[in-house]
Amino acid sequence: MGNVIELKNVTKDYGDFKLDHVSFSVPEGSVCGFIGQNGAGKTTTIRLLLDVIGADEGEIFLFGENIKNDSARLREDIGVVFDEMGFHEFMTGKDINIMMKNIYKNWDEKGFFDYLKRFSLPSRKKCGDFSRGMRMKLQIAVALSHHARLLVMDEPTSGLDPIVRNEMLQIFREFVVEEDHTILLSSHITGDLEKLADEVVFINGGKIVLSGNKDEILEKHGLLKCRKSELSSISEALIVNAQPGTFGVEVLVKDRSVCKKMYPEMVIEPVTLEDIMLFYVNRSCNESGKSEENSLNTSDAGNEFATEEKER
Amino acid sequence: MRGLILKDLMCLRKQLIIFSYIVVSVLVLSVMYVLSAKYGNIALANEGMMMENGMSSIDIRNLSTWVLSIFLLLPIATVGDAATIFSEDGKAGFSAVSASLPLSVEKRVMAKYLTVFVMFGIGVLTDLLIISVLSALTDIVSFAEFFGMIISAASLMSIYGALVIVFCFWLGHGKEDYAIFCSCGVMVLSAVLLNFRKIKTLFAPVSDAQGTQAFDTFINFFKQKFYVLFIIALITMAVSYFVSVWIAKRKRGVV
Repeated sequence: MGNVIELKNVTKDYGDFKLDHVSFSVPEGSVCGFIGQNGAGKTTTIRLLLDVIGADEGEIFLFGENIKNDSARLREDIGVVFDEMGFHEFMTGKDINIMMKNIYKNWDEKGFFDYLKRFSLPSRKKCGDFSRGMRMKLQIAVALSHHARLLVMDEPTSGLDPIVRNEMLQIFREFVVEEDHTILLSSHITGDLEKLADEVVFINGGKIVLSGNKDEILEKHGLLKCRKSELSSISEALIVNAQPGTFGVEVLVKDRSVCKKMYPEMVIEPVTLEDIMLFYVNRSCNESGKSEENSLNTSDAGNEFATEEKER
Repeated sequence: MRGLILKDLMCLRKQLIIFSYIVVSVLVLSVMYVLSAKYGNIALANEGMMMENGMSSIDIRNLSTWVLSIFLLLPIATVGDAATIFSEDGKAGFSAVSASLPLSVEKRVMAKYLTVFVMFGIGVLTDLLIISVLSALTDIVSFAEFFGMIISAASLMSIYGALVIVFCFWLGHGKEDYAIFCSCGVMVLSAVLLNFRKIKTLFAPVSDAQGTQAFDTFINFFKQKFYVLFIIALITMAVSYFVSVWIAKRKRGVV
């Protein structure tokens, strides 16, 4: 299976914010969680992907084609969901159908009204009168009604109650049942991504910090709990960041299995994506001001550890 | 692209409702004026003016043309407001949705121009229908003369529409009022600069005959040389389109 999305050294400089040589790929048929705190560069990356803004450097490929060739044609196969609705408040479901069926070649009118029915969205009611959850569902109905192969969603679940969020995750799960369907889901609600994502791309300060298979990333990292005095005994190559915990210090380690072997007396717990995000973000905050090559990933961690082991 | 035009027309739904009221009002007022100019009080007043002020029947006819022209300008003036489309899109944040659609920047910009054309087309057709009715009722109005007037008016409004669109793209969302102001400014300035000599003579002391002649020249230009304004409108539209595309490509996210 090839990559549906591929970014190679993409840079976009706004002066006060820079997306710095971003490279990652999303394989076909997968759900990729795009995580990062607010202002990390998620929306900018999505806008670059959709060719809403142009990159200063680098190349972007969608379905194996460079978006510079014909991004408009490529968007025929992409369903996009934004955090804000974007449709005019006076528009009804019927109006949106009239508009979209005259834009998308593959618009499925029946499918659209079926989705509206399924999501309990009245087709004659104005969008402006919809709740936030209903607005998101409307966007999803539009995104799914033109037989898109790729869903790109920017914070679709933020601000929604858990019931609606769960309902939406179920819809996304159904979408990826088809082998050639792919999702890029940007969110800072890591819990949703843990439930749904196969791949994870973590962006911070315009740089990709971590990318790869979600399970591997979660498996590899660990949360080591120790006393403050024990911290100095832990190999620095293993540590992502440490912060004070309830009973001492909590340390995010890059290789849980190696750590378990090296420090059998210490408690090492599995981590969540939220832990990983927090520790990495705090680390870059601590290191701000220093110029550093922050290209840590799971394999790098292993290599660094192997070198240190050799030296020992 | 048709979908975007339909969306833009939806944005102008309120205006189309107002437009329908104006069309009915204009039709009623024009018919009343024409009938009164032939049989009623306006006919008597005209006779009085011919006797007391020494006006000729041609002057009276021109005066009627002037009054009816103002009536007929109203539908065209109210129908094509491009700034409303931009303001509605800005309020909704539609540019994000628009950018995710499988349409190139050129097509998205073109949709705006076509919407304005469609609206002016509706305005022109309505006016032509009104003239047909009026010219059938009286000999004060001839269809051919008013055809020229309407094309001239539509051309002027198209120039205005093209300027509004380019200024809306340039200034961005939320600044539609400035775009309208700038467009009006450019049009007035161009008219003044192109007719500077003629305007200067207006401020010099002139006889009644000279004044009437200047007025007739003005009316005749609109009636007979409508193609000049029509060509200017076409050129302005084309230039405005290419400038808008250039702006939209550089300043992504405005369309």
